[in-house]
Amino acid sequence: MEMKQYNKAPSMMFKKDNIIKQVLRKIINFLKSPIIYFVLMGIVLIVLGNLANKKIIPYSMSKTLATLVVYGIISIGFCLLLGYSGLASLGTAGFVGVGAMVAHIIIEKYPFYLYLGGQAINVSIFIALLGAIIVSIILGMFVGFISLRIEGMYLAILTLGLAEIIFQLLENIASILNGTATIKVSSSNAILWLTKLDNASKCALVTVIFVILLVLTQNLINSPTGRAMVTMKNSTSAAQAMGISLIKYRLLAFVISTVYAAIGGLLYITCVTSSLSTTDDPLLSLNTSLNILGAVIIGGSKSLWGVILGVMILFGIQPLFLNEIEFFEKNPSFMGLVSGILIVVIVMFFPGGLSQLFLELKLKVKRLFKKIKERMYGSY
Amino acid sequence: MGLINKYGIYSSLVEKNSEKIHHLKEMAIYDKSVVSKRCDKKINNFIKSKELEINRLEFAILDLNEEVGSRLVSKMRIYNKFDYWARRFIIQRMRLRKYSESSVSKYETRLEKLNKHKWWFESKIRNCLTKQLSKYIVTDEAQKEEIRKSLVSLKESSKVEIEKYTKDIRKIEEEKISAIEEKLSKRIIKPQMNIEKYKEVLKTLKNDEELLDENIVLKVENLTMQFGGLKAVDNLSFEVKKGEIFGLIGPNGAGKTTVFNCITQFYKPTKGKLLFQEKSGNTITLTDYVVHDIVKKGIVRTFQNVEVVKEISVIDNLLVAAHSQYRSSLFTQFLHLPSLKKEELAMRKKAEEVLEFMGLSLYKDWLAWGLPYGILKKIEIARTLMNNPQLIILDEPAAGLNDTETAELTKLIRKIQDKYGCTILLVEHDMGLVMDICDTVCAISFGKLLAIGTTEEIQKNKEVQAAYLGTQEEE
Repeated sequence: MEMKQYNKAPSMMFKKDNIIKQVLRKIINFLKSPIIYFVLMGIVLIVLGNLANKKIIPYSMSKTLATLVVYGIISIGFCLLLGYSGLASLGTAGFVGVGAMVAHIIIEKYPFYLYLGGQAINVSIFIALLGAIIVSIILGMFVGFISLRIEGMYLAILTLGLAEIIFQLLENIASILNGTATIKVSSSNAILWLTKLDNASKCALVTVIFVILLVLTQNLINSPTGRAMVTMKNSTSAAQAMGISLIKYRLLAFVISTVYAAIGGLLYITCVTSSLSTTDDPLLSLNTSLNILGAVIIGGSKSLWGVILGVMILFGIQPLFLNEIEFFEKNPSFMGLVSGILIVVIVMFFPGGLSQLFLELKLKVKRLFKKIKERMYGSY
Repeated sequence: MGLINKYGIYSSLVEKNSEKIHHLKEMAIYDKSVVSKRCDKKINNFIKSKELEINRLEFAILDLNEEVGSRLVSKMRIYNKFDYWARRFIIQRMRLRKYSESSVSKYETRLEKLNKHKWWFESKIRNCLTKQLSKYIVTDEAQKEEIRKSLVSLKESSKVEIEKYTKDIRKIEEEKISAIEEKLSKRIIKPQMNIEKYKEVLKTLKNDEELLDENIVLKVENLTMQFGGLKAVDNLSFEVKKGEIFGLIGPNGAGKTTVFNCITQFYKPTKGKLLFQEKSGNTITLTDYVVHDIVKKGIVRTFQNVEVVKEISVIDNLLVAAHSQYRSSLFTQFLHLPSLKKEELAMRKKAEEVLEFMGLSLYKDWLAWGLPYGILKKIEIARTLMNNPQLIILDEPAAGLNDTETAELTKLIRKIQDKYGCTILLVEHDMGLVMDICDTVCAISFGKLLAIGTTEEIQKNKEVQAAYLGTQEEE
């Protein structure tokens, strides 16, 4: 009877839990949290931006990366709206324009200075960020209150119309302010604290904001609000019976996505291009809204990593890969064909988006390991 | 009833404060459980460390050769397997080539080699083990005697020490728990003062609304629901007593689900009064509230076609059901501050309890996608239990279940009534189930009341029989 008790090696039996092991376990637990991967991605992006600025990799990379990240910011807001709350909006581009306009007014026209020890410190980017958030919250509340009583296709059409109204308003405001239809944030005015923003620091700024927003979104998704949103998407009657106010959570999702879009617009005009034409810029058109809808659906509307991947594919394939190939350089109209084919293939074979594909791959790898283990140990 | 019902406002204020107290109390209960768990762990660790000391000495007395031998067997188990396969392989080859002498001798030398190797391996492991074990096992007989003596004294002393340690720890635990209670009582003072204040105001005011008897939970009076020209429910009135299981039956299209939707305010009834008694003894008119506030008042419902969210796990479904009990703000949710984590852990614990009660703890972390229908139905019922309801409304709980599942459900509904002490109102087509568990049955047809009474009365009622089976003249 007593023999069984001492079946372990005596050296193992008398040792207490190793301190190194405890620390390792803590580190592993910390690494398992999803937030750490967002931070890692941010670090990689900042390093790439710096390398591009030093011309170790192609110089245009930093600008491309900044563009992708801005689209990423807009898409995660849209992911919260479409994937989690089940509302389809086609007015994203309008709110992007609002953010850009706020940036133009505050950073370019009326910059804010903080006088500290005789130095004039430019804080207009922070003020513009705050202003864009406040303006977009008010606008989102207003638009949402009008439009969120209806669902589905009708909501999409309504937001489309509202976005058109916002475009017209922006055009008029721009012509009143400048006399022309362009809004701009010139590079001499893009100053953060005391330093002028060069390409690398622009990329870094955009990335830092992107990572912060990703972490916040991830937290929100894993909290009661996120669950309430998913419930609302799946069954409105069950949600109401559980005590979830439909209009409150719809409005919340809508306002969050508007805020993200406005932040995206602000960052686009300060960090990617210096001037935007309100009449015929591709950013301020239905095209952007549709592209972002496409990116979210390709990526898998319920996964943040999927959305990031979708943005990479829809907006990143052209500048990162296709521009290097001679054939596409000569015939730029074929570039759209490639991304079109990709969309069709992904939507046909993986209706859950790229995140579904990766999930299936993960499952397959797990099964493979299980099989190998069975071969190794299961035979005797 | 005036435009502004002062009585209602004050009673809702009282309720809000009592809700706050309830929340605080629940958090305190969770804190206490955490403290006691930690203390238990400490005591366990102490006992384990003492046991280790004793074990070490007991180990030292053991006979070295015996110990080595027993360990050797387990160590050699894997080697023996390989050895067995190698021998088998060689012997098979030998049988195949038994006519050529040279090859047979070759195989024999191989077998000898194997034997040698085995002996060599065994001796090596034996040496290793003796080296390892001699660190812990004493060989000297005199020393062993000493250890034996000390062991007896150590066992006694360790018993005393453990008792003392547990006493100390329990003392600390009690202190901590009393501190938590003190904190709770301090926090509770303000809302309690408020409640008393409002209650005094309430005494001076006159309630315009009708008060329900203590033993009646729900009173439906002249309920009429009209869709265009169709009267789905026509002048229906009934009363549900506290603690009973009330069945609502009727042929298809009789308007049973419409009655439920009217009670839970999915439809606003065209005419009629719906009075409900809350857990605090307060009477409210249900039509004054919006759909999503009904849960807070203590009425929860299930649906005819299960409305379980399939994209999230089973336990998340239960947490969604407890949504109205969360008090953390949007800011804390964005940043995942510790207060939210604490709340979430407390809710999770509650959900796990409910799941275990329903016998669903196996499916805790499963996605609700693809679970069988019977289990989805159970999840729906489990969701209602998360809210400590006064009245549970079950819309066809046995629809789509087979006989064994229905029998199980009957037991379950009884169990729920026993444990949670709530009133249950159900619509069902399965007459076996209805007649088995219902205390009172109400039969309706085309929105009109046919009969109300105990199950036997309903079975004998001729109008009900006619509605279900048709009259003879029709044939």
